[in-house]
Amino acid sequence: MKRTTIFISLRGCLRTLAGLTPVIALLLALTAFVPSALGQAAPEEEARPIPLLTGSAGFLTGFTGGQPDLHPLVTPLVLLPIGPKWLFETRATLETDLVQVPGRSGFHSGPVQKEVEYAQLDFIANPYITMTVGRFLTPFGIFNERLYPVWIRNLQSDPLILPIGIGPSNASTGAMMRGGFRAHPQFNINYAVYFSALSTTSPVDSDRFAGGRAGIFVPKARLEIGGSFQHLLQQERSDLFGFHLIWQPTRLPLDIRGEYADSKRGSGYWIEPAYKLSQLPFLQNEMRRTQLVARYQQFFTGPLPSDSLPPVNTKQFEFGLNYYFLDGLKGSSNYGRQFSSAGNANVWTLGLTYRFVVPLGPTGSAR
Amino acid sequence: MRKTWILRCCLAAVALLVRSAMAQEQEKAEKSSGTGAAAAAATASSPDMHSPALPKPGREVVAEERAARLEGEKRFRTNCGRCHQQPHKFPPRVMATAIRHMRVRAMITDEDMRFILRYMTQ
Repeated sequence: MKRTTIFISLRGCLRTLAGLTPVIALLLALTAFVPSALGQAAPEEEARPIPLLTGSAGFLTGFTGGQPDLHPLVTPLVLLPIGPKWLFETRATLETDLVQVPGRSGFHSGPVQKEVEYAQLDFIANPYITMTVGRFLTPFGIFNERLYPVWIRNLQSDPLILPIGIGPSNASTGAMMRGGFRAHPQFNINYAVYFSALSTTSPVDSDRFAGGRAGIFVPKARLEIGGSFQHLLQQERSDLFGFHLIWQPTRLPLDIRGEYADSKRGSGYWIEPAYKLSQLPFLQNEMRRTQLVARYQQFFTGPLPSDSLPPVNTKQFEFGLNYYFLDGLKGSSNYGRQFSSAGNANVWTLGLTYRFVVPLGPTGSAR
Repeated sequence: MRKTWILRCCLAAVALLVRSAMAQEQEKAEKSSGTGAAAAAATASSPDMHSPALPKPGREVVAEERAARLEGEKRFRTNCGRCHQQPHKFPPRVMATAIRHMRVRAMITDEDMRFILRYMTQ
């Protein structure tokens, strides 16, 4: 059965690739004609990159509907540069839940869940095109690919719409072409075009789809807006759309992020302002490390059911406080209230996250 | 069928954008080489053409370095701060790997990458 599924999937992949042949040929031709001026010495050549073990660790405590849950996790990321143009990167997650068992004292841990989130090989062909193959985080919207790690995210809870468009295990198996370049003196363009094949092997399962994301970044205004599109090549063969926005006003230490996603299985949006108190005139050392965050989100169910999305229309408001002790060490807390016809609930989270960087070779000295 | 066409159109649009950006880059390169040639010609026609090339005055070099550092810092804040808190400086070879990773992940441009790497390793 599985072999048949894989065969059908492969046949479908080949058919889709055949359909896209003219466009792929055009893109490859463009790559071939990139002038040699673009092959100028990469700045890394001045400081040769070394393998790195980086990533994050966190201890998150959640109280959802009064039920405590302790959640330690480690997310190592290995970066292995190969030559001047290649990079192999892989990230894994090791996590467990410590829960209270009725009739027993203390917290008890379940099995440690281990998962390779992605393992991809990148080839930086030229300043405009990077090719990626392997298992990669699906670039639908911005949260999954850019804001997911616990040391980066402002609030530790996931947005309700996160599962839309990213596949069953947040990743795709296939190939991707992406890049970012200055298209105009006033703005940069970034894009990603990808294809994912069906994989039914848990936990590295993925859906069969093709899609893309494009964004415009205006450095002067510190504004990025973009959109995502995906066509599912299995099941209901539906289209998914998304939009994202990141804005950092130049005069305020404020970040505003937001996303909208729409699919047959549901749609919704979230918007998240985060304000650093660095402009307050007192306790400046403490205030510049303190950040206030809020997030408002809504989810609307679609005509088709989904296991990973809320079963009913849901609204959620959260606000939180982050304190940056050191570069990479952050304490975070947040309170939220979820409103839905299935029942309202409070969501509390307290946590400590740490970003580590371990060089796996001689680091060189500053110029 | 219609969806495949939408996908093809998106890919074609991306290809056109890439092509236009490459054309701009080529034009820029030609302009700068033209300027260089003009400058060389001007030097050649100057009365003291036989005098040895003078090194750049130290003050000018310092000013250039300072401008590059300021530009690097600006681009670092603008690009890195979009997603996460700006990290402290890392040793050069660590930063070289991190910036390559960010080039792929955050799709920062080649030019931004150069300025940021220079700023972060100074």
